[in-house]
Amino acid sequence: MEPGVLIQILVWGLYAGCIYILLAIGLNLIFGVMKVVNFAHGELLMLGAYATFWIYTLSGVNPYLIIALAMIILGIIGVFIERLCFRPIKGTGKLNEIFLSLGLIYLFQNLAALLWTTDSRSIHSPYSNVSVSVGSVRLPLDYIIIILFTIVFLIAFQLFMKRTTIGRAMRATSQNRDAAALMGINVERMDMLSFALGSALAAAAGSLWLISGQIVDPYMGSIPAIKAFAVVIIGGLGSIPGAIVAGLTLGIAENVVPLFMQSFAGLLGVSMSFTAWKDTIAFFILIIVLVIRPTGIFGEKGE
Amino acid sequence: MKMNKKYGILFAVLVVSVLLVFAASVGQSKEPGVEEIKIGIVAPLTGGASTTGTDMWQSAVLAAEQINAKGGVDVGGVYVPITLVKGDTETSRESGVKAVTKLITEDKVDLLIGGFSSGITYADQVVAAEHKVPFIITGASSPIVTRRTDIDTSYFFHHCPTTDDYPEATLLFVNEVVKPEIYERFNFSEDRPLRLGVLYQDSKYGEGVYEGIKKAIEKHNLNMEIVSAEKFKMSETDFRTVLTVIKESKPDVVYVAAFLNEQTLIVTQGRKDVGMNTIYLSVECNDDPDYYTGVGRWGEYSIQESRFSPYTIPSGPIHEAVEKFREDFKNRWGTSPSMMGASTYEGVYIAAEAIKNAGTLDKEKVRASLAELEMPQIVEVMQNGVINFSSDYRESKFALYMEQLIWNESVGETRPKIVWPDSIKETDFVLPDWYEPGSSPAATATATKATEECKTLWYFDEESLKCQQKEFCGMYMYKGLRTFETEEECKAALDKYLREKGEEKETPAPEEPGFEAFLTIASLLAIAYMVQRRRK
Amino acid sequence: MKLVRMNMNMNMNMKTWTGIISLILAFLIPLIFGINQYLLTVLIIMLVFIIYSSAWNLLALSGQASLGHAAFFGIGGYVSAIVANTLGMPPIAAIPVGGLFAAFIGVLIGLTCIRMREWFLAMVTFGFAIIAHTITTELSWLTGGWDGIPAKRLIPVTITNYIMYEYYVILLIAVAVVVIIYLIAKSRVGLALQAIRENELEAKVMGINVIKYKLMAFAVSAFFTGIAGALEIHHFGYITPEVYGMDISFWPILYSISGGLFTVSGPILGTIVITFIWEVLRAFGLMYERFILIGVILVLIVIFLPKGLVSVPEKIKSRLQL
Repeated sequence: MEPGVLIQILVWGLYAGCIYILLAIGLNLIFGVMKVVNFAHGELLMLGAYATFWIYTLSGVNPYLIIALAMIILGIIGVFIERLCFRPIKGTGKLNEIFLSLGLIYLFQNLAALLWTTDSRSIHSPYSNVSVSVGSVRLPLDYIIIILFTIVFLIAFQLFMKRTTIGRAMRATSQNRDAAALMGINVERMDMLSFALGSALAAAAGSLWLISGQIVDPYMGSIPAIKAFAVVIIGGLGSIPGAIVAGLTLGIAENVVPLFMQSFAGLLGVSMSFTAWKDTIAFFILIIVLVIRPTGIFGEKGE
Repeated sequence: MKMNKKYGILFAVLVVSVLLVFAASVGQSKEPGVEEIKIGIVAPLTGGASTTGTDMWQSAVLAAEQINAKGGVDVGGVYVPITLVKGDTETSRESGVKAVTKLITEDKVDLLIGGFSSGITYADQVVAAEHKVPFIITGASSPIVTRRTDIDTSYFFHHCPTTDDYPEATLLFVNEVVKPEIYERFNFSEDRPLRLGVLYQDSKYGEGVYEGIKKAIEKHNLNMEIVSAEKFKMSETDFRTVLTVIKESKPDVVYVAAFLNEQTLIVTQGRKDVGMNTIYLSVECNDDPDYYTGVGRWGEYSIQESRFSPYTIPSGPIHEAVEKFREDFKNRWGTSPSMMGASTYEGVYIAAEAIKNAGTLDKEKVRASLAELEMPQIVEVMQNGVINFSSDYRESKFALYMEQLIWNESVGETRPKIVWPDSIKETDFVLPDWYEPGSSPAATATATKATEECKTLWYFDEESLKCQQKEFCGMYMYKGLRTFETEEECKAALDKYLREKGEEKETPAPEEPGFEAFLTIASLLAIAYMVQRRRK
Repeated sequence: MKLVRMNMNMNMNMKTWTGIISLILAFLIPLIFGINQYLLTVLIIMLVFIIYSSAWNLLALSGQASLGHAAFFGIGGYVSAIVANTLGMPPIAAIPVGGLFAAFIGVLIGLTCIRMREWFLAMVTFGFAIIAHTITTELSWLTGGWDGIPAKRLIPVTITNYIMYEYYVILLIAVAVVVIIYLIAKSRVGLALQAIRENELEAKVMGINVIKYKLMAFAVSAFFTGIAGALEIHHFGYITPEVYGMDISFWPILYSISGGLFTVSGPILGTIVITFIWEVLRAFGLMYERFILIGVILVLIVIFLPKGLVSVPEKIKSRLQL
C-alpha cells in the first residue's frame, strides 16, 4: 500500500480515536469515583448530538459554539440519572448496575424515537468546504478543529482534576471513598458531579460526531459506547492516560487492521473484503488484551 | 394447609382468567363471510423500519378506500368491499411469525400483501405457505423469496424489483451513456474496460446487489472491470477509510449498494472528506426526499435509479395516474407516498383484479388467477406496460429508469431529472467538470485544469444576505451559497429567498425538541423515589 | 425454629401447588381453547424463551451476567439445522447436537472469561455475539451466509394438528429443562455457584473449585440456550443471521430480572408476564411506548423490586403481617 494512503487512513483513525477518548474519559471518571459502569453512556452521546442538532436548527449559530450548551444540558440530565437511578441501587451489586443501564438504554432510545422519529439527522458545518492538502493527504478543517478540541478538553480536564479543590476531592474519593468521607468530603456530591461531568463529555463527543458530518438517530449511541468500553477496559479501568493511548490505538487499529488483513489474504490468494469487520476487530483486540491481562494494560490490580 | 389451597385456587383462578382475557383478545375471529374481502397487510409498523411500514399501510388503506368507494370488487356478480387488517412484524422474526399466523388463523384473511425486509419475510412466509394463502410481496428485495425450495412458493407473487434487477438497469445505462461520455472526454480507447468500484452493505441486500452486478456484466457481456469491491457493516457511519481504499483502486464510477442513511454519508464523505470526485450510482430504494436533503450539494450530478420518484414523474401513459395518486395520498394522509407505498398500493389493486377474474375468494382459484394476471400498469412503469407475473418465479418486471441529481436554486437542494431510457428522458446526462476518471495520466491534466478554472461571480449566502462579487476558483460550495452570472439575477433570487424565508418564519417550527418530556418523566421518577424513601 | 420450618414447608407446598396447577393448565390449553394456531404459536415462542431465560439465569446464578447469549442461541440453531439437513436426521435428534456444540463453544468462551470481573465479562460476551454473527455470515458455504438456510420442521406440517404436537413436545422439553435446572440449583453445585457469586475469594478459601464450577455453569447454560435456539428455528422452519440480534440477547435478561433473578420460577413468571403485557400493548397499537415501558419496568424493578415479581406475594404477606 502506498504511504500516502496509509497516512490518510491514519488521519481517519485519529479522528475516530478522539471521539472514543472523550467517551472513555467520562466513563472512566464515573467508574473511578462511583465504581459504577454506566452501559447507557452511548445514549448520553446520542442525546448530546440531538441537543446540538436542535439548538443549531432552531438558532442557526455556529455549531462549535453550541457544544458548551449541549454539555450543560447533558450535565443536568446526568445529575438526574445519578440521583434517580444509580444512587438508589448503590451497593446492591454490580449485576444490578448492568441491568439498570440496560433499562435506561431501552428507555432513552425509544423515547428519542418517539419524540423525534427514527429519521437520521445531520447538520452541515460552516467549514465543511474547506480542507487542507498535504501532499496526497487531505485534512478537512473540521477534523483539525475536532482534534484540537479534544486536546483542549483533555488539558482542561487534567487541570481541573489536579488544580481545583473539587477536582482534588474527586480524585481523593476515587482513591479511597471511606477515607475521603472521613476527611469531610461530601462523597455523594462527588458522585453527582462525576456523573454530570461524564455526561457532559459524552455530549461533547456527540456534538463533534455530528459536526464532523456523521448522522444522529435514536440508535446511534450503542456502537460508539461499546467501543468506548473496549477502550476503557483495554486502557485499564480508572486510568486516564490508559484511555488516551487505548482510544487512539483502537481508532487507528480498526481502520488499518482490515486493510492489512486484506493484503495478507491477498498474499494467500484469497480475495476478501474485511472492511465490514471493524467492530469484530475491536472485540478481538479486547478479548486478547483481557485474556493476557484481565485488568487491562494500564489497569490497577483487581480487587 | 388451608392457606396453601386457598393460594393455589386463587392462583388457578388468576391464570384461567388471564388466559381467558388473552384468548378473547386473540380470538375475536369473525365468521368468514362473502360480505367482505379480508386482506392482511404485513408491514413493520413499529421498530427500526416503521417509517416504511407506516407508508405501506397508508397506501394500502388509500387503495382499499378507492376501490370501496366504487362499490367494491365484483366477485362473481356481487360487489364486495375490501377490509384491511394490520399485521405488524415489528421488524423482528418472532413478531413477524406471530403477526402472519394471527392474520391467517384468527382474522382469516383471504390474501396477504406487504412483507418488508427479506430476513423477516423468510420466516413468516413459512406460515403462509403452510396455509396456502396467496401473498403478494411488495417490500422484500431478495429474489430468494419466490425461489426457495424448502416450501411451496407457488402462492408467493413478487411485486417489487429484486437485487438482480437493480444493477442490470444501472449498468446498461452506464454502458450506453456514461461510458461514451467519459471515453470521449479523456480519449480512452474503446477496448479499455470501464473501471467499476463497488461499495456494498454487508447484508443480504448488499450482497444480492453485488452478485447482481456480476451477473449483469456477464449477461450483457459488458466491457467493465470491478476494480474494488468493499463492504461495510449495516448502519455504519464512518466510511472514510473504505472510501479511501476505493479511491486508491482508481475507479471510473462507483456503485454503492446502501440504505438511505448510509448512501447519504457515503456520497458526502466521499466527495467532501476523501475527495473522490466520481459519479456515484445509487440503488432504487434511496429515491426519497430525505436523501436529497441529506446529500445537499454534494449529491450534485450523482445517479439515482428509480421506479417511483418523489420529485419527478416519467412522461407517458402513467403520468396522470401518478399525479392523482400523490394528490389523493396527500389529501388522505398529509404526506407524500414512497416507492414501497406505491407498490403496496398497486398490490391492493392487483389483488382486487385477481379476485375479480377468479370470481371467487377460493384461495387456490385466486392463486391461479394471480398467476395468469395481465393488467395495465398503475403508478409505476412496468416492462411492456403491463403487470404480470413471470411463469418461472412469479416476479413482475419493473422498467427502472435512471435520474441525475441536478442542483435546483429555488429549493436549495438537488432535484432528479430522468436521463435514461431515451423514451422518457427529460434531459441529457451531464459529466461534471470536476469529474476525475480512474487511471489515465494523459487525461488528468485536462481534468485538473477544468476544476481550477476561476470565474468572477455574484453571490449571496445565509450569513450575508446581500449580493456581492467575488472570484470563485474550482469547486466551491457550502450550504446556502448561491452564485450568479449577473447582479440582476442575484438580486432577484435574493428577494425571492428572503420572501420565502419570511413565510417560513410565520409558520411555527413543525417539530419541537422534546426535552420537556424527559424532565417530566424524570420528575415523576423523582416523586416516586421520594415517596418510597419517606415510607422507609 | 419450629415456626420457621413450618413457614418453609408452607412456602414449599404453595409453590408445588401452583407449579402443579399451572402445569396441568399448560397441558389443558389446547383442549380448552381448541387447536388455535395463533395462541399456540405465541405459547410455543413463550416456552422457547422460558427455556432460554432459565438457562441464562443459571449462568447469572454463578455471578456471571452474559450480554451475548444470542451467540449460543444462534449457534444451537445453526448447528441443529445443518446437522438435520446434511445427515438427514430428524430435528428432535439434531437438537441435542446443536445444544452440545453450543456448550462446547460455551466452555471456550467461559475459559476466556474465567478471571474477568462482571462488567468485563458483560462486554466480552456481548462481543462474542458480534463475532459469532460475523463468522456465520462469512462461512456462507455452510450457513448460507446472509440468505440463511431452511430448517426442518419439528413435526412435519403434513400431520394434522401438527402444531398441537409441536406444542406438547416443546412443553415437555421445557418442563424437563426447568426440572433439571431446579435440581442443579438445589444441589451442591447450585450452592457452590451461589457461594461463588456472593464472594469468589471466600468460596475459594472454602475449598470450592471456582474455575470448574464457573465453566460448568457456562456449559450447562450454553447447552440449554442452544436447545432453545434449535427449537425456535425448527419451529420457524428457516434460520438467518438475524438470530444473533442484540434484542435476542436482551430478552432473557429482561424476563429473568422482572421475574426474579437467581430463582427457578423467576424466568418462567417473567417470561409469561412480560409476553402478556407485550401482546396486550400490541393490541392497543402502542409503538415506541411499548419499549419505553419495558425500559421503565426494568429500571423500576431493579430499584424497587430487586427480587423480581416472585417476591411480590412475600412482600404482600410481610406487609399484611406487620
